[in-house]
Amino acid sequence: MSTRNPNTTSSNRLWTCLIVSALLLVPLLCLGAWLGYKALISPEGASIVTEGDVTLRVGYTPEKETAFREIVSRFNGSGAKTLQGRSVRVEAVSMDAERMMAAALAGEVQAISPDSAVWLTQLDASWRAQQGLAALQAGTSLVGETTRYAISPVVIAMWEDVAHSMGAPDRSIGWSDLMDRARSDPGFRWSHPSTNTASGLLATLAMFYAGSGKTRGLTQEDAQAEETLAYVSAVEKTVRYYGEGELAVIQRALTDGPKFLDAFVVQEQLVIYHNRQASGHRLVAVYPREGTLWQDHPLVLLEQPGLTSDLRQAHAALRDYLLSADAQQFFLEQGYRPADLSVRLDAPGTPFTSANGVDPSQPQTTLQIPSSAVIAVVREAWAYTKRQTNVYLVSDTSGSMADDNKIGLARQAMQTFVQQIPSDQERVGLLTFASEVQEVVPLGELGSNRAVLDGAIANLAARGNTALLDAVYAAYVKLQDLKDTERINAIVVMTDGRENRSRMQLTDLVRRIQAGNAGGVPVVIFCIAYGEDADMQMLRTIAEASGGQAREGSLETIQELYKLLSTYF
Amino acid sequence: MKRTQLVFLVVIVLAVVVVGVSYLLRQSGGIDNLVEGPQTLEVRVVTCLPVEPFVREAARAFNAQSPKLEGNPIHVEVIPMDGLTALGQWEREEMAPIPTVWIPDSRYLVELVNAAYKEKRGRDVFLTDGEYRTRPIATSLFSWGIYSSRAKVLEAKYGDINWRVIHDAAIAKGGWPELGGQPDWGYFKLVVPNPQRNVAGLAAMIAAAGEYYDKTDITVADVTDPAFQAWLKELMGAVTDFSIGSYSVENLALFGYSAGDGGQLMESELLVNMAGIQTRWADPLVIVYPEYLTWFDFPFSVWMGEETTALEKNAALEFQKYLLSAEVQKQALQRGLRPANLEVDITAPDSLFARWQPQGAVTVVSRTTRMRWPSRDVLQTLLRWFELNVAQQ
Repeated sequence: MSTRNPNTTSSNRLWTCLIVSALLLVPLLCLGAWLGYKALISPEGASIVTEGDVTLRVGYTPEKETAFREIVSRFNGSGAKTLQGRSVRVEAVSMDAERMMAAALAGEVQAISPDSAVWLTQLDASWRAQQGLAALQAGTSLVGETTRYAISPVVIAMWEDVAHSMGAPDRSIGWSDLMDRARSDPGFRWSHPSTNTASGLLATLAMFYAGSGKTRGLTQEDAQAEETLAYVSAVEKTVRYYGEGELAVIQRALTDGPKFLDAFVVQEQLVIYHNRQASGHRLVAVYPREGTLWQDHPLVLLEQPGLTSDLRQAHAALRDYLLSADAQQFFLEQGYRPADLSVRLDAPGTPFTSANGVDPSQPQTTLQIPSSAVIAVVREAWAYTKRQTNVYLVSDTSGSMADDNKIGLARQAMQTFVQQIPSDQERVGLLTFASEVQEVVPLGELGSNRAVLDGAIANLAARGNTALLDAVYAAYVKLQDLKDTERINAIVVMTDGRENRSRMQLTDLVRRIQAGNAGGVPVVIFCIAYGEDADMQMLRTIAEASGGQAREGSLETIQELYKLLSTYF
Repeated sequence: MKRTQLVFLVVIVLAVVVVGVSYLLRQSGGIDNLVEGPQTLEVRVVTCLPVEPFVREAARAFNAQSPKLEGNPIHVEVIPMDGLTALGQWEREEMAPIPTVWIPDSRYLVELVNAAYKEKRGRDVFLTDGEYRTRPIATSLFSWGIYSSRAKVLEAKYGDINWRVIHDAAIAKGGWPELGGQPDWGYFKLVVPNPQRNVAGLAAMIAAAGEYYDKTDITVADVTDPAFQAWLKELMGAVTDFSIGSYSVENLALFGYSAGDGGQLMESELLVNMAGIQTRWADPLVIVYPEYLTWFDFPFSVWMGEETTALEKNAALEFQKYLLSAEVQKQALQRGLRPANLEVDITAPDSLFARWQPQGAVTVVSRTTRMRWPSRDVLQTLLRWFELNVAQQ
């Protein structure tokens, strides 16, 4: 009988345990490593390895800023993925229609959502021209899959009492009524955006139709006919001023009420937006008798060379999200008419009520949208028939402007301002102020002084104190002395500091502006507070005295701010 | 511990480890990456827009069934593209990558592509007979869809609605008041899709030519006749907006009578939008079938070039078989399409045809004449005419 050595038995057991442990641990370690690797490369782990994301860059027009940003934020939080499991993200970029067309042609965005499909034929025409003869002959298209998710008709927004004074609701009001009223009543203040927005383009088209005596079939010849241009020019002279877009106009209406304007052209949704927030005066949406235009906010996939399957899927995911029941309900709540026809506009709780100034059974008819060639002619003709401007750029060149290269960025911003004004008939001048006020470039038509202005702005240097009030007053007096009521008269003044040199007092300046505007030529003053040291309160007081506005700018935003202000002229 | 006990223990432990690891890997989805599995057969289907929602939904359901062919999983991807855009890409050889299947609006587009490739490759790239022949997945006729308030006025003034009546309404200088309608209605507004972007627009022009000449076979001489061109231009002058080309019935539904009083449009899209139109505009649409009938048949066309493998072609046929199954064809019917599978009863009480019968929808269209699809030269002449006389004007 054999006997076991206890040490040997113990050793065997130890080895057995070790082998078993190893057998268990090695595969588990391998599995752990594998799962870790999977987590890094898998779609679920996309937040760790972000280069796996698919980013769709979408340009959108600013009138739908609030709704579009919110819906994109919700989409980005929805966890959308491509078929291959890559996370989809949308980067929304606000840009006006003109900038959007340029961005689309340059391939800077893969999808766009302009205010209206009216721009799409023009975009395709530009695309073909850019691509050359072969594309022209082949008829290739940059405009790919197009989806509408929410729409809103363009309306004339009027204060309720103004609409009543024009016969509403007993009779239909049309573009012609608006134009007749504006021409016959000097106190009537109305505005429409420039033709790089759908509502501005529609208002302009309506004028060209009225001027040519047509309701459809507008041709290039009609748009260029002398009688048409004379009519449009006469009506445009009644426009108080143009502006950067509908959203800005409606925000002014919210803050200033009826003292701002009597009527203006916006999409219906913004009338609802206003009436839900305003506590006092109510706007009504007038659906023009002759017809209107729809802002149909298409989401357009751009068929650029090299468009990947991933980007197509990202676009499809966004499209499906915009059309989802939740998103459609969101658009309804925002005052848009949802593309999903099963969403009722007359359901309980919808904003489409007479209390909000809108009528969902309207509009009854639309104006005919001419071809892109006619639209191009109309836009060009408008630039020359629109109300022209006398505008003084009044710039701070005090010593503090040398800090952080503020003067350099201001120079670029003012040069952009001048470049953005297309018509050579506009008059622009330049005043600077530091310890003294200096007229650097006298007011003159851009046709003759564009290059002079550009050079003078480029040579601006910073030194001295801040004679802000004297400078504003000097520009104001020069504009009053012109006695030019045909044009918009305006001052765009920018300062980075506090008044410390002027002989003029603020209260005196305000009194003179108010008196001058009431009895002489109305001059509107736009003030820019450049940086945190600027005296915003003083600037706001000056702007409000003239019916203008004061804005805050920074090193980052100064250029964009000047660009926005250029749309007022 | 005895040796046999040890071996037994090791075997048990190994078995547990293998089962456990295998289970965990499956849970993580990583097993496919560890073992070289069968290759997925990608079926890329370029689909025209009118049936894209139907095909896309069918593809989703098909993929969800994890279909396989000879052990290889099949995955269907649907790429929406208007028929005319696709035709252009085929002709310019810009279709990249080459899809496994193309479903255009009409088999005539397939013939045009075949004609183009016959010159280049000496053979058809889409077959007209045999196992891989093109097969319609559904059909849809073109019919008039007009807001009932407007249709009543037109019928009271002119009688039956046809292209000549529409033309006369379109040129009425006084607009609707002259025709007997309301002053607020403005002028008569026709809805025709932009033929540069949507084959349906081309189909509308062909149908109009058929009625103008009272014949089914339209020639280049017909469409270049100055009198016809003047007539067609007047007709097109009543279209409110060509800026969006692909969504004609959506125009009619979304923008209502404000943008279009009516137009000759795809029956399926009209049927699908009928309810929405009533909800949004409280003025129902009526459907009227024209005397000269045009239609789309949405042929499922398998690409026969060497760019796709035999297995991929066969995988495409699996999807085709699925699309033509009675269950899926019922989905087509629910979308207002006339099913290609005759087992599916179009007259079923829950079909859109039955539902909208009171508004003029019919399952069998009587007293009609089928338009012949014209030659490529006629199509190109019409498109060129449109470009010069409507789009650029």
